[in-house]
Amino acid sequence: MESLYLLIPVALIFCVIAIKLLLWAISSGQYDDLDKEAWRILADDEPPTEPRVTPPQRASESPRDD
Amino acid sequence: MPPPAEARVLEAPRTCFHCGEPVPDDIHLAVTIEGEPRAMCCQGCAAVATLIAGSGLEGFYRQRTAYNDRPATPEPELLEQYRVYDDPALAATFSTTLAPGRVETSLLLGGISCAACTWLIEHSLSKLPGITRALVNLQQSRLDVEYDPRQLTLSSIFAHIDNLGYRPQPFQTNTARQQSIEQYRADLRRLAVAGLGMMQVGMFAIALHAGDIQGIEAQYQALLRWVSLPVAGFVVLYSARPFFVSAWRHLRQGSLVMDLSVSLAIGLAFSASVWATVTGTGQVYFDSVVMFTFLLLLARFLERRAHQRQMFIWSDAESNLPSAATARRDGQWHTVPRTQLQPQDTILIKAGEAVPVDAQVIEGSSAVQEDAFNGEHLPRTVASGDTVYAGTVNVEAALQARVLVDYRDSRLAALQQSVELAQVSKPRLAILADRIASWFIAGILLVTVTTAAAWWQIDPGKAFWIALSVLVISCPCALALATPAALTNAANALRRRGVIVRTENALEALSNCTHLVFDKTGTLTEGALAIAEVRPLGACEHSDILAVAAALQRYSTHPVAKAFQHVEQAPGVEDVAYHVGAGLQGRRDGRLYRMGSEQFCRELVPDFPARPDARLYWIGLCREGAALAWVGLNDTVRDEASGVIRTAQRLHLQVELLTGDSSAQGPELARTLGIETVHSNQSPQQKMARVQHLQQQGAVVAMVGDGLNDAPVLGVADASFAVSGATDLARSQADFVIVGGDLGKIVETLHKARQCRRIVQQNFAWALGYNLCAIPLAALGYVPPWIAALGMSLSSLLVVANSMRLNR
Repeated sequence: MESLYLLIPVALIFCVIAIKLLLWAISSGQYDDLDKEAWRILADDEPPTEPRVTPPQRASESPRDD
Repeated sequence: MPPPAEARVLEAPRTCFHCGEPVPDDIHLAVTIEGEPRAMCCQGCAAVATLIAGSGLEGFYRQRTAYNDRPATPEPELLEQYRVYDDPALAATFSTTLAPGRVETSLLLGGISCAACTWLIEHSLSKLPGITRALVNLQQSRLDVEYDPRQLTLSSIFAHIDNLGYRPQPFQTNTARQQSIEQYRADLRRLAVAGLGMMQVGMFAIALHAGDIQGIEAQYQALLRWVSLPVAGFVVLYSARPFFVSAWRHLRQGSLVMDLSVSLAIGLAFSASVWATVTGTGQVYFDSVVMFTFLLLLARFLERRAHQRQMFIWSDAESNLPSAATARRDGQWHTVPRTQLQPQDTILIKAGEAVPVDAQVIEGSSAVQEDAFNGEHLPRTVASGDTVYAGTVNVEAALQARVLVDYRDSRLAALQQSVELAQVSKPRLAILADRIASWFIAGILLVTVTTAAAWWQIDPGKAFWIALSVLVISCPCALALATPAALTNAANALRRRGVIVRTENALEALSNCTHLVFDKTGTLTEGALAIAEVRPLGACEHSDILAVAAALQRYSTHPVAKAFQHVEQAPGVEDVAYHVGAGLQGRRDGRLYRMGSEQFCRELVPDFPARPDARLYWIGLCREGAALAWVGLNDTVRDEASGVIRTAQRLHLQVELLTGDSSAQGPELARTLGIETVHSNQSPQQKMARVQHLQQQGAVVAMVGDGLNDAPVLGVADASFAVSGATDLARSQADFVIVGGDLGKIVETLHKARQCRRIVQQNFAWALGYNLCAIPLAALGYVPPWIAALGMSLSSLLVVANSMRLNR
């Protein structure tokens, strides 16, 4: 059980990193539009359109988005 | 890419596939979307749907969650006005040049209703050559687009968006908008920290609870408590800060509000836990503290988000004005940005255009439609010397006018000021939760002090712990959650039924409302003239009369002409001329026809009979030597209107009609619908004053409206509804926005509001009842700390579960 003295601080460090990352993402505006992002992942079953604008979306052809 | 969709005939259509409006019986338009012919209600919708389908973007219709706005009939001249944005100086006010050939610009879009719209706009724009990036922010209705000015002009981007059926305008960053974004991000940060903290502390708490049951070594218990402390501490200091700030602000003004009891609950439970950790005794409540903070923040966040969403959309009257105007400079007509107009400039207002600024007519005569100010859809005739106002529409013929004042001093700006005034003077009903909170807090503090004092006499060693357990057990978590949990769930349920709740507190006001006040035009009625009656004066057939009338009216831009737009036209009508302020004249089979006012017809047929009555708006039709007919027009009442009013009266609400219309139609409509109190000819300011007068007499007023002129009164009413097709300004002032245009939703919302009030009362009854039973036990020293902690969580959960019943 002594391992707790090591593992709990490690967990806390991860937690701090997670909070830092999340706060950074919010400040940089990535969460400004919650409605669209939640929906977008479902929308890409469309035949791929021009790749220029939204290249990451084309990854949706892979099954993981479904 | 699929083949371009074609318009073709379809039988028996019911609702328009694009905008959801009913399709008139005599319209047979269809667009093939995903292999199926879909009914369209007008050329505008068909054009937009064809454009969408033709670009291979049909998937939009599968993804959208709300119908689109019905587009205005596409007019090349309308798109012409976007040309002004090609002026580099004007464009620079809302765009930045990142590098040569890369310009980023921000546009505000009107008419975006759901996430599928963002997809449509982004994908449709990305197909234009020269656009490198297009991103729509739904929350702010904002489009950020990066394009190459060498390949396409800014005006063509505007025109493209307009073609899709959305209304673009430059996105001007103002302080209110900036603050709103900052506020949103700050809320989200607090919520995120509370959420992550909750998970972390919850993990430790499970170990601690397991330890309570099956035994735990003191050193590990101490370790788990000591690590929970900084995490919970951070959440309390960072995330729960707004509660403390608000409580302190109200306390200094001498008022006890719910935030104070929230702060007390958080502060006391946390302090007790810290004390228990430091001394190694008692019980810790870190998990409850953090979870409670998270749940409350979540409820607040959701409410604020619904509110903000509408705030961004065209929230001022000025955005209804055209962006360009035609002005005379150096003896030539130039298209100039509206903002550059100066008093004394001479401007040209073409037929069908909106008047850009308050001005005095110096040449020409026409009629202006002033429904922005009076809700009347019959235009006022103006001639040289008359004043026309910004925001009204010139319907008949071109006018030359001299600019009188800046926008700031215009009548429209005054309307906007009334709206802002209404916002601050809206009565805040004392919220039930806050009324209870003040008594509750005073009670708890009294009991705690008495308990401590009593135990000090009996056993000074126990006094502190018993006083603390009284405070913890009376922790008003359930009390604080009672209202927000119920309101959030009710708002959710309403949203699914097609009513957007913008201010949740209005639900409480609505459940208490005593007066239901309606606007007439566009609210109780459809807001457009329709043919109500035809009185033939000769031997002419009913359908022939209408066919000739429709063929003549095709040449007119007057609102009257819209009533005839779905009528089949008679062939062979030619040489149609428009006589301003009188009517239309045309030739058929060599004979002269006239349609218009009584006097206009008498010039051709001297014995043309007088119009039947003042009940309808009558237009005469005659042929050389023969009077043909009187055609009566009326604004049709919405089908469900009378049902809604009867239901409201059965629920003992006083129903009133407030209309800007000065004609006899207001009282007439009221009589048919059974409304007793009618006020006609009301300016926006008078409407507002009327509602305030009712409020001063103790009434709680719910208002239903749609137009620009209703915006101030919607702002000042205790609870307000904007019906579908409402102007953006009206929407931005209303507490509830009815999406589908069914007035019956008002009754549904009213029922939901009353149900919500019952649930809130049950929640309060439980929370208070629990506290009343538990506090005496705690004061007598019978409650061990772990039971206090359990009771606190369970009573909160019960309140949340009870509120979920509203979701059904």
